[in-house]
Amino acid sequence: MRQAGEDVILTGPEIRRAVASGDIAIEPFDPRRVSPNAYDWRLGDTIRVCDTDLDAARPSEFAERPIPRDGMELVPGNLYLGVTHERTHSDLYAQFINGDRTVGTLGVWVHVSAPLGHTGHAIRWTLEICTARRVRVYPRMTFGKIVFLKTMGALASYQDMGQKYMASSGIDTSRLYEEMQ
Amino acid sequence: MILTGPEIIASTGNGKIVISPFLPDQVNPNSYNVRLGNTLVTYDTDVIDAYEPNPTRVTTVSSDGLVLQPGELYLGHTMEEVGSDYFVPLLFGRSSVGRLGLFVEITAPIGDIGFHGQWTLMLSPVRPLRVYPGMKIGQIMFFESCGDIELYSGKYQRAAGPQESRYWCDKLVKT
Repeated sequence: MRQAGEDVILTGPEIRRAVASGDIAIEPFDPRRVSPNAYDWRLGDTIRVCDTDLDAARPSEFAERPIPRDGMELVPGNLYLGVTHERTHSDLYAQFINGDRTVGTLGVWVHVSAPLGHTGHAIRWTLEICTARRVRVYPRMTFGKIVFLKTMGALASYQDMGQKYMASSGIDTSRLYEEMQ
Repeated sequence: MILTGPEIIASTGNGKIVISPFLPDQVNPNSYNVRLGNTLVTYDTDVIDAYEPNPTRVTTVSSDGLVLQPGELYLGHTMEEVGSDYFVPLLFGRSSVGRLGLFVEITAPIGDIGFHGQWTLMLSPVRPLRVYPGMKIGQIMFFESCGDIELYSGKYQRAAGPQESRYWCDKLVKT
């Protein structure tokens, strides 16, 4: 009999199995990036720098810049929107994204808000980056972990609910203002 | 396991989750969106003292909104009362809000089984940011628990409006 609370977070071998069976999509997928209970994702090649005032009721557009091969310095007080190199998707599992301890000990927050990727989410994740100290980061460096969670109850897919960011393939700025017209 | 949106709706129907007011269009595939109430509390002192009651200032936000400043901590609250005697609730900001550089909670996303009330939000922006009462600011997820349940009966039960830290209630007697 299954105990409540059992089999909640997928192990590495289970992630590999789910990728092989199609229950999880990770593109590009590198089996060497599967860790004991997560997939180790990379920072993408571009970033948006926000150094202006913001308003939840208005669009905020910042120029997107490539991250040079020799790195880009992030500065405390700025907000940066980055993107994962990988696109991930699962109709079966919910996903949690976090930085890893290597990036956390550099003083980098990779995500300000909910770490949740809803079931049905098919995205390159927009990262909400800020930093405690000046720090240089590089394109495609290993940046964090995505874990996969089993769900309880009937499934509702992000794709079917007309939600805003359901097919993100690049860096999405906030579209909260659409709700506030 | 994390509850799906349909399971959240079912649980509000059978009383395992209580959300008031509850609006089905605030249900996500794995969470429920909560709205920002119109009251903010800030600490009215240069240094916040963990061992003492701190003076606070209460601000009522009009429909024109209020610009939050980096470096300041604003305690907000959800318009909704949210709680469950069965599931563990977790509160986070929404992605749309994170992309505006706003922290909605600090260090404590996990709620207690048995807490019922308005949730206090710990708001701190990376950039100056105008926010508005009633905006959907956060989301609450629910996780299945394992083991016997002892319901929350702590000092923030039935909270209405932002609740400042009451660490001083718990401090050890000074020697």
